[in-house]
Amino acid sequence: MSALAEVVVGATTISALYALVAIGFTLIFGVGGVLNLAHGASIAIGAYTAYYVTRVYGLDIWLGILAALAVASLFGAVLYLGLVKRIQDEPIMVMITTLVTAVAIEQVFLVVFGTQPKTIPSLLAGNVGVAGVNVQLNMVVVFVLSWLVIGGLFAFVNYTKPGKALLATSMTHKGAALVGIEADRINLVTWVLAGGIAGVAGVFLGSFQTAYPTMGQTPLVLSFTIVVLGGIGSIKGSVLGAYLIGFLEVATVEFIDASLTGLTPLIVLVLVLLAKPEGLFGRELVEA
Amino acid sequence: MSGDTVSGGLFERLNSSGLSLRYVIGLLGLVFLAVLPLLSELELGIGVPGLFVLVVDNLLLLKIMAALYFGMFAMSWDAVSGYTGQISFGHGVFFAVGGYTSALLNIEFGIDPLLSIPVGVLLSAIAGIVIGVPALRLRGPYLSLVTLVAPLILLQIFIWRSDVFGGERGLIGQDNFLGFSGADATMPYYVALALFVFIFAVLFVVTRSDAGKVFTAIREDEDAVAAAGLNPAKFKIFAFVLSAAVGGLAGAMFVHSPVGGPRPSELMSVMINVEVIIAAILGGMGTIVGAAVGGIFLSLLQDALSNIGDTVAVPIPLTDLSLVFSLPVPVHQIDFLLFAVITLVLLLALPGGIVRAGVRWGRRVLRRRSDRDETVATDGGIDAPERRAYRTFADELRGEDDEH
Repeated sequence: MSALAEVVVGATTISALYALVAIGFTLIFGVGGVLNLAHGASIAIGAYTAYYVTRVYGLDIWLGILAALAVASLFGAVLYLGLVKRIQDEPIMVMITTLVTAVAIEQVFLVVFGTQPKTIPSLLAGNVGVAGVNVQLNMVVVFVLSWLVIGGLFAFVNYTKPGKALLATSMTHKGAALVGIEADRINLVTWVLAGGIAGVAGVFLGSFQTAYPTMGQTPLVLSFTIVVLGGIGSIKGSVLGAYLIGFLEVATVEFIDASLTGLTPLIVLVLVLLAKPEGLFGRELVEA
Repeated sequence: MSGDTVSGGLFERLNSSGLSLRYVIGLLGLVFLAVLPLLSELELGIGVPGLFVLVVDNLLLLKIMAALYFGMFAMSWDAVSGYTGQISFGHGVFFAVGGYTSALLNIEFGIDPLLSIPVGVLLSAIAGIVIGVPALRLRGPYLSLVTLVAPLILLQIFIWRSDVFGGERGLIGQDNFLGFSGADATMPYYVALALFVFIFAVLFVVTRSDAGKVFTAIREDEDAVAAAGLNPAKFKIFAFVLSAAVGGLAGAMFVHSPVGGPRPSELMSVMINVEVIIAAILGGMGTIVGAAVGGIFLSLLQDALSNIGDTVAVPIPLTDLSLVFSLPVPVHQIDFLLFAVITLVLLLALPGGIVRAGVRWGRRVLRRRSDRDETVATDGGIDAPERRAYRTFADELRGEDDEH
């Protein structure tokens, strides 16, 4: 009973963060039709920015989150305008150049900060009891904030004009162009949003792990899995996918073997791709 | 060669054999690689005195040998991904299956590499089928995702069963192929060169055959291939199996060469999978020649960067608000960063690859030179400007494929 409660509470909180990690990735994939393999780098950039603001300048972690949001958004903009924009018609080139960019950024962190993991302060210290399970308060705050960001994004996409333009572009490029939506501007908005969200997710991740140069790799693989599971470009699908993966992972650790953690999402990914490539809420890939 | 281009330009005067100039250059390159070990016996340096001198010694031969193997890996990737457009992000799986199979058979059961290598190739071919079958159902980024995940799963298994596969450190104690050790690199070098030429020849012929044309057609429009009454599935599987077998062969031979070993870091780390792609794209995707050139170039570039002894200033963030402070860092510590940045610049500057850019540049130079006498056509009349414009245009069009 208590083991089950632990799985449920642990998975519920961590899955919200997983959803946050994957949502920017799905946004870019859905709107631009390209895979951003530098998504993990945005996450690391967010985490290191927060480390820098809090540990080096000694400022508050909340300022660290704001700084991470700003720097990672900027990174998204630079990446799109400087690199992706001119090759966005070739998804393969985008995959490769973003992958090389990610490698370069990893190396920059390695050279500047070294291999030593850096700690980021908790958003809120202490513990709290939830359904008889002792949970870090930090985890609870991350859970709440993640849902706020996801909810905000959902509202933005569905109820604001630029959000609707974004949705339209993700559905049909031609149709959106016909009603006067500039695809390049929408793409820029997408990359900035995705970068910013990833930056915040990076701070959250770093607050209960640590920040290290290759910290973006696991979230990147996680993002693939969640996006494929949920279906391309569907925010709803990503949240659901994140919860499925989160529960599966926490349950694997609890009931089977802790050493299989990394393997679970990979196997799920392959199985889903083979059985239902379009995912739970997916549709055919948009032809550019 | 079309009659149109025979107009007495420099290009034609240079090669009486009727071969395209780039084939001549390619052959010269191979001849150069073939005579390289002889230079070491003469103890000669090649290069521009005072600027750079390349001393041919045992170490250099070993480095070039490693580069040749990497070129083979890149070619095997290009055969499937560059031609059929089924981008594989996990080609290391094939190298690893070939290399580990052969090494395990050799170490555990004492089977001679001559026998264990073919078994490794066979298992790689089977791995090619395993990865090729999903390729029948999945398209574009989805296939790339599956192939991206394949080596990660294999790596997890390798680390999980470290007792069999040696974990991160890999296996040790495999025999050298035919007993050639690295003490005298000449023989293993020639083995690698022979294998390189063999693999190159096989892939070059296949991709220039009718099957190769179907591969390219699948890349451009798979539905059209099906509509033409051809079965794309058959060709995709063939491409995967061919590529896997070739990759497995290179992997197995590499493991039994003095430079390679059955280690995850050399056969299947995430970076190997990426480097192979970078090599093929940098050289020129979908040309085989480009992959071969790109592989050799990249391997040597990486080695050169890691050997630079100089230091460079790297900004280090400071605690106060003075922002940055420069600290000298040896170049070989940031070799991989430099490598990534150079790659990025080259990818953006030469989107079609080094080989295509070189061919285009060469044609432009030749055209400019030969323009002077080209105005006088072979029949003694004046070459009409319209005809010249047409030819230029046709050349531009031809520049994109590699059939001529």
